Parts: sequence; structure tokens; C-alpha cells
Amino acid sequence: MNSSFLRISIWVYLAIFFAYLLGPLVIMSITAFNSSSFPRISPWECLTFQWFTELFHDQRILNGIKNSLIIGMGTVVLSVAMGLAGALMLTQIWPKLRATYYTIIIAPILIPGVVLGISTLVFWDRINRMLGLGADSVLSNGVFLTVIGQSTFIASYCMLVLVARLQRYDTALTEAALDLGATHAQAFRKILLPFMRPAIASAAVLAFLASFENYNTTTFTFGEYPTLTIELAQKVRYGITPAISALAFIIVALTVFFALLNEAKLRRQELVAAARRNATVQDLGGKIRLPGFFAGNMAAVLLVVFAVATITVVGTATVYSPDQCIANVKEQKRLEAERRIQELRKQREEQRKQREAQEAEQGGATQSAPKPSNNSGFGGVFAPGALGGGTDAEPEAEEPPKGNGGFGNVFDPNSLSGDQ
Amino acid sequence: MSAGIGVDLENLWIRFGDFVAVRDANVHINGGDFFSFLGPSGCGKTTILRAVSGFLEPSEGNVLIGGKNMKGIGPNKRPTALIFQNLALFPLMKVWENITFSMEIKGASAAERRKRADELLDMIALPGQGDKLPSELSGGQRQRVAIARALCAKPDVLLLDEPLSALDLKLRQHMRTELREIQQRVGITFIYITHDQGEALTMSDNIAVMRAGVIDQIADGKTIYNDPATAFAASFVGENNVFRGKAKRVMGDEALIATNRSGELVARISTANRGKLAEGDDAMMFIRPEAFSVAPEGASGDHFVTARVTHEEFEGNVFNIFTEGDGGKEIKVSIPNHGQSFKDHTGQNITLEYDTRNAVVVPAGELAAE
Amino acid sequence: MPSFLKEFFNRNGTGMGLTILGLVLFWTIGLIILPQLSMLDFSFRPNLPPPEIGGPKDVYTLENYKYLIYGPEGGSQDYNTVDLRVFFRTLVAAVCVTIFNLILCYPIAYYLGQSKGSHIRIFAIMLIIPYWINEILRAFALRIIFGETGVLNTLFTGLGIWDTPFDFIRNDIALYAGLGYAYILLMIFPIYNVIESLDRNQIEAARDLGAPWWRIHWRVVIPYAKPGISSGCTMVFMLSAGALAAPQILGGPSSLWFTQLIYQQFNDNNDWPQGAAYAVVLLVTCILFVLAMMRLFKVNMGDIGK
Repeated sequence: MNSSFLRISIWVYLAIFFAYLLGPLVIMSITAFNSSSFPRISPWECLTFQWFTELFHDQRILNGIKNSLIIGMGTVVLSVAMGLAGALMLTQIWPKLRATYYTIIIAPILIPGVVLGISTLVFWDRINRMLGLGADSVLSNGVFLTVIGQSTFIASYCMLVLVARLQRYDTALTEAALDLGATHAQAFRKILLPFMRPAIASAAVLAFLASFENYNTTTFTFGEYPTLTIELAQKVRYGITPAISALAFIIVALTVFFALLNEAKLRRQELVAAARRNATVQDLGGKIRLPGFFAGNMAAVLLVVFAVATITVVGTATVYSPDQCIANVKEQKRLEAERRIQELRKQREEQRKQREAQEAEQGGATQSAPKPSNNSGFGGVFAPGALGGGTDAEPEAEEPPKGNGGFGNVFDPNSLSGDQ
Repeated sequence: MSAGIGVDLENLWIRFGDFVAVRDANVHINGGDFFSFLGPSGCGKTTILRAVSGFLEPSEGNVLIGGKNMKGIGPNKRPTALIFQNLALFPLMKVWENITFSMEIKGASAAERRKRADELLDMIALPGQGDKLPSELSGGQRQRVAIARALCAKPDVLLLDEPLSALDLKLRQHMRTELREIQQRVGITFIYITHDQGEALTMSDNIAVMRAGVIDQIADGKTIYNDPATAFAASFVGENNVFRGKAKRVMGDEALIATNRSGELVARISTANRGKLAEGDDAMMFIRPEAFSVAPEGASGDHFVTARVTHEEFEGNVFNIFTEGDGGKEIKVSIPNHGQSFKDHTGQNITLEYDTRNAVVVPAGELAAE
Repeated sequence: MPSFLKEFFNRNGTGMGLTILGLVLFWTIGLIILPQLSMLDFSFRPNLPPPEIGGPKDVYTLENYKYLIYGPEGGSQDYNTVDLRVFFRTLVAAVCVTIFNLILCYPIAYYLGQSKGSHIRIFAIMLIIPYWINEILRAFALRIIFGETGVLNTLFTGLGIWDTPFDFIRNDIALYAGLGYAYILLMIFPIYNVIESLDRNQIEAARDLGAPWWRIHWRVVIPYAKPGISSGCTMVFMLSAGALAAPQILGGPSSLWFTQLIYQQFNDNNDWPQGAAYAVVLLVTCILFVLAMMRLFKVNMGDIGK
């Protein structure tokens, strides 16, 4: 009984843990489809795709994505190059220097991103001044500073990924290539680089994701080139809309898709390897075909289910129109609001009867009918002033929801290709 | 076979910090020779090989290949090809790509490379295996691919760094013959590094015996075995029984040694030490197990040794007798098996006889570790 | 040329050697060391308009550090209580988040490290996916849940457990949940890596000898996993103390995070030296704290980041 109790408690624990981990993402994704103008799942109003439309018409988001991609590329190139050089150096550095050197290149992981951003900004500003360059030089350019600042610590991640593989590299291979007449550059390109390719690919993906989602460092260095994360932060801090949920949903979907794809590929490789071990070379060709892709490959099955679901959703989106539902909800809200106004009036009547002196404060009540939040004092959270008197970024004026007519275009390939 | 390119080491010193890996090595290797460096691990033989191939700059002295000083010339510019201890086949390249790597970097076309690869695969008796990956080959096959890859670069000198050490015994013995055959076919200089005296003796034209960075003796296999120059060479190459003592009298090529334990014995002074060994010097005398024979009881003289038998064993082709010896070491005697009957001597004294030509005296020195 | 460099160029060739050396020097000196020193230097200077930088007024001063302790000159209070309180609150909260994460993650890491089977890989994917999602979006997701009209409040008021919505944000619960959420993976992976290499037989042996499960963990697993635990704790502590996004999005209006003060100095007050000084204080304090903890728990620096 003890072990079964233990097993149950493990599963309960796992359930809670993963609910904590994944629940927020699921809920956020769902809110992308609720027509309520505040991201929430209850009360559920109408299934809608309008937030996607809004998202794809948001110039700041699109611009942010563009900047993020440019900066991401730069960071990938710089940090993978530095990470590889750092890893190579680590494997051959003079033993007495190794511990110091390792501490230096690993430190950026532990230095708070804020500090990295500031130091990058301060240092390059000084270099810029020393060289007598103006405020618009390359060295004070937001893209340059962000790439530099992010690479400082992302290169450390890359280094860790790369050094793990590099440790399994036999330096005799490079020597063999040299011995056979290759130059050092040829030996690097033809022998070491192919060996490192899987690790370089992982490091590049890691670097891109880290760059894409970085906020702490970028917030000090972005200058005129706000990345997607910066734009999102501005939006989230000063008023949240389901359009952000829509973006989140897209990112979640892409992530899940690529994770499954990767896993399916890995599983397939494993299965092939296992089959190779068991079978002779001849019957390999016949056995490992498409069915093998699925056999014992959960991820592949999930991938297919996922793809079908996506197609279904997109298909629905192109024909579905929530106009009627939204109209109904509007009507309901209007009725609700009227009812509240009636109630308030009644209250006011009563209050007036009780104390005729208090009239002035009631004025604002009519405005806040659908959301009681403005009265609670809690609304202050969303006010820019509360979060540090921010004058740098004006509060985002909430865009009025776009007309309902444009849904059909949301998943139009043209509008998509423009964004990615 | 003097057509090939020779290699010379002149006053070669190699240091790593305070550690001296190679001490004043002077070696002349004839073109077309199969030359071995033989020594225990850590004696500096691999270091010499790396200096010849160009991975190491000597601290002092020169490496000459074909009479040309190699100073400042990188490994990729030297006419040498190295076969690594672990072979270092490129794991991500197919066999034919591995073999023709040296052509690839010179920009040869794929067709040319394939053709050459097929020729070499035929030569190493692996026809049609070019499209496999190295990991799909057996140990011996990989060995041959490594040789083919090195030969494809058309080196003047082929360097081999204990290439057989990873193979099992049977395969190793087979590869010895094969390597020797290949060397004779291509006619280039082979420099072979090994700690296995069997390999060195069977394959080499000449052998350099190394100890702790110093080359003790350079000679052909027979000379090294029969006429060692130092105590180390005598004890490292083949089995040998050592008798320590002092040179009591030097009589031309022979010496009378007052041994610590076995009385006064006569032996031949090894060629390298003739005229150098003086009376009163510490000396060591070596007699191979097979050089002894059992003498009739009661025989005595300056080429008889009497000792108590500790144990005996039958090995098939020989019958071994072990007796108490010098410095805690046993004396081993191997009697060839001709079908004669053997008497058990365990616990008794036995008298052994040897021919003075088969006993060698060298100055006292360091012995090889067991 | 020192022998190390000579050997380095011998091994890598001149061209490749210079490339590697150049990149490493650019990274270590140009991106890591000099910017930090530059920030340190900057934090000792007065806040001057650009034309006056390098001029006679540009002298070293402790003004920026004094400000953190004593507040503005002629201020009403003896000490800069506001900023100091934020500073200590940040450190204490970061410690709490670290402990919370350790307690939450240790069982998972242990479970993942010691079980076999294909479901472990699915779990691993489920663990990693949230970390491929933007930091801001993760905080945003929690905001949806903890908001006043968020999921939790709707749920609990709907069930009649509370009659009025509970303000998770003002009470900093959202913030702690968000910080904990943000760094789960950084806690799990180092611990998982170590525990995975723990020989199961050790646990079996301990169980065989009649040790109860908690003693097995206390005497066998935890000592073995110490490098992983310290590595995870260091990262979570440093990153939550230096977090900016989560406090900005999930923090209550009255509770600032120290990084937010730094952010304000830079972006709102335009006082870079002051901001740099605060950043230096944060960095140095965090490093000293981590070193002290490592000394206390007898952990080596080399174990971090493995």
C-alpha cells in the first residue's frame, strides 16, 4: 500500500507541476479566441479570430519582429563564432590559466542581464566618444549594441553546448588532415566543422531563441530598434489585449510544432539505428519506410494530429464569422449595462433620499459599467505612473477593434509571408 | 633498397618545460629502410615521430628528410604521412573519401579520386568497400584503410605510431607480415614506433632501442638481440638472465666477471663496449634462457652456474626451469623439447652450462622494467 | 613569444590561430571585462551633460554610492530608506524564490533522472517548451491568470470561496509565482544532470539497509547532487535578483524590484552614473552572497555551469 500511495502522490505532484508549467500557456492561448476585449476565458463571449487580424495589422509588432530577426541573425553569427573560438581555446589553453579563463567566459551567464545591458551601453558610448564619433555612428546604433550586448552572455551558452561536443573530438583527426597536406583552415573546414555541425546547429537555435526572447539586456541597448520583446513589454505593461494572446498562441503553436518535429526526427534516427544494429545492410531499405516513421514514435503521431488540427482551425477561420455572436454579446452587454445603470439610479435615488448632500461622486459610474475594475483602486497597476513614472513610452492607446469584415484575410498566405 | 628518401636526426633535443623527452638523438635512417624505434612507453619514441612529421618543433637540433632541413616546415608541407595510433580515420567520411583526402584538398575531381581509391582498395584487399563508413569496418580493415590513406598522399616517408597496438594478437601477427610486404612493394622509407620487440624484430631492417629519451643502440635486429650495447637493450629485447658483478679480468674480447652470487664466470664483451670495459668496473652479464643447457652433475668451471631449482614448467615447445638467481630474480632456463624425458629438479641444486660466445657482458646500467 | 602562444599557433596555424585568439580576446576583454570595468569607472563619476565629460568637473566621486545609502542631499530622512528597502527586499525575495524553486524542482529532477521510459522524453519536451516562449509572454500568461478578473479569481469567486476578488498582484503572489515560473528549467536541468549519473544501486543499497526514503535523500542523493543543486540555486538566485520583465509586468504598484530602480535611473532620470552605481552594487552584492553561500555549503566554483 505504501508504494501505491507513493506512486499516486508522484502523479499528483507531476500533474500539479505541469499544470503550473503549462496551464498559463494553455489559458493564454485560449484567450486569443475570446472576443472579450480583455484577455480572459470566462465569461466566454464569442469564438473569434479578430485578434489575429489585429495582430497582423499592428505595425509596431511587425516592425518588432523584423528587428528581432535582424538582431537574432547577428547574435547567432557572433555568439556561435565567439562560443566556438572560446570552446577551442578552453580545450587547449595553458592549464594554469584554465580556471581563470573558464570563470571569465562563464560569468556572463550569471551576471544579471540588466548589468550587461548597462555596461555595454556605457562602454560603447565611451568608445564612441573617444573616437569622436557622433550620436548616429555605428557604435551607438541600437542593432549593433543589442547584438553585442546579447552576444556577451549568449556566447557563453553556445560555448557550453559546443565544448561538450568538442571534448569528444579526437585532435588526431585534425593532425591527420594536416599530415595529409591540408592547411589549418582546410582541416578546420573539412574535419572539425563537420564534426561540430550538430552542436553548432543546437547552439545556433539556442542563441536565436535566447536573443529573440531577451528583454533585460535589450531594454538598455535597443535604441531606435525595438525588438518584438520590447514592443510586447511596452504593450503588456500599459494595457493588455488579446492580440498579445494571439501572438503568444502563434509562438506556442510554432514551438510545439518544431519540438514535435525534432523529437520525431530523433526517434526515427534512433529506430533506424536500432534496426541497423539488428538487420543486415540488404534488408534495411525494405524495412525502414514510412510505417517505421510512426511505429513506436509517439512524437510523429502527435505531429500528424497537430498538423491536422492546425489545418482544421485555419480552415474554420477562413469561413467562420462571429459577427452574429458578437452582436448578441454586445446586445447583452448593453442590456446588462442598462440594468446596472438602472440599479445605480435606484441606488442613487435611495442614497439621495438618505443623504442629499452626496451627489458629486456618482458621475463616473456610468462609464465603468462593464468592468468594475476602475473603481477598485486596482486599476492603478495598469497606469504607467505606478510602474516607475515611465515617461519614456507613452501608454499604448488601445486600438479600437478593427472592423469585422477582414477575417478572411487573416490566414491569407500573402499576409503571413509579409510578417515572417 | 637505397632508392628511397632517407631521414636524419642531428643532435635532436626535445624538452617540455623542465622535462627532457628526447636527449641528443643522432640517427641516420637509410632511404627505403623499415626502421623501428623500440622502447617502453614514455621513452620519447612518439615524440621523435611527431618531430619528424612536423607536429613538434625540436628544442635543439635538426630533422633532415632527404638531406633537406625541415626546420619551420609544417606537417602539411613535409613529404611524410603518419599512421596514428588510433588511426584517426575521419568518422564522417566514407572509406573512399578518407583514402583520397589528400587529393581532395589538392582539388582533384571526384572521378579521379574514386579511381585512385579503387586502386588502393584493391591493393589493401578491400575491393568494393569504398562506400562504407569507417565505423562499419572491422579493426583490421580500418588498419588497412589508414595505410591506404597515408599511401595515397604519396609520401617519401611513412611514419607509423604503434598502429597494431589496438588489434588482437592473431591479427597483429598477420598485419606484421602484411605491413612488411606493403613496405617492400612501395619501396619507401617506413619509420615504425613500437614497444613490442616481436614487431620490431620481425619487420625492421634496423632498430633503435630507446630508454628515457636516450637512444641506446641502433642496429639490425640480430645484432641487437645477440650483441646488445647496454644493459637496457639486453634486458628489454627478448628474455634475458642477468648476473651482476665486477669485471675481474679483461682478456681481449672476453672478460672474467666476479658475479655477486654465481662465482666467477667468463663472457664475451659486447662489440660496442670492447676496449671500454676496464678491470674493476661494475658489469652485467646476460645469458639467454635458451643458451643454457643442463650440465652433468659435479661439473664446474668458469662457464658453469650452480643454483637451486625453485620450480619448473612445461610450455610445449620448451621446458622451463627456474632457479634462484641474482638479486631476488630467478634464472630462467629453456630446454627445447625434442621428446626427451625431463627429470623433476625442484628443490635440488642444478648445474647449468653455457657457451661463452652466448654470454654477453656490458657495463652495469639500468635494466628494463619487467 | 611565450611557449604557450607558440604552441597555440603551431597547433592552429597562423590564420586560424589569429582568428580564434581575436574572437576570444574580443569576447573576454572587449565584451566582458572592459564593459564591466567601464561601468565601474562610470559609477564613480558625476552625472554630467555630454560636453562636460572629460572636463574639469569630471572627477571621481562617491556621490552615487552615498546616494543609495543616504538619499538626496538635504533630504528629509537620514537614510535612503526607500531604495535600501527595495534593495534588501529584492535580495530576500530572490532567496525565497530560489528556495521555492528548489523545493518544487528537486522531486521532478529526481523523478526524471531516475526513471526510464519514453514518457520521460515527453516530460522533457513539456519542460522545455515553456522556455522557448518569450519571457514577456510567460509573464503575461500569469497576469491573465492572477489578474483581478483573471482565471483564479473568476474560479474562486465563482465557487463562492471568496466573495471579493483577491488582489494577487498587490500582494506580490503573482510576482513570486512568475519569478519561480521563469527559472524552473534552470533549476531542474543541473540537478537532473547530476542525478541521472547517480548509480541506482546506491539507492537500492541504502534501501536494502533499511533507510527510510527521506534518509536516503538526505544521506545519499542530496550529497551526490550538491554540485547540481548549487549550480541551479546560483543561477536562479542571480537571475531572479536581476530580473526585470517579471517585476515590471507582475509586480504590484507599491513594490519595486531593485532592477526597476536601475531602469528608472537610466531611462527616466537619465542619470547613467547613478544607474551604473546601483548596477555595480547589485552585481557585487549578488556575487558576494553567492560566494558566501558556496563557502557555507562547501561548493567549488568549477561546479557551476556544468
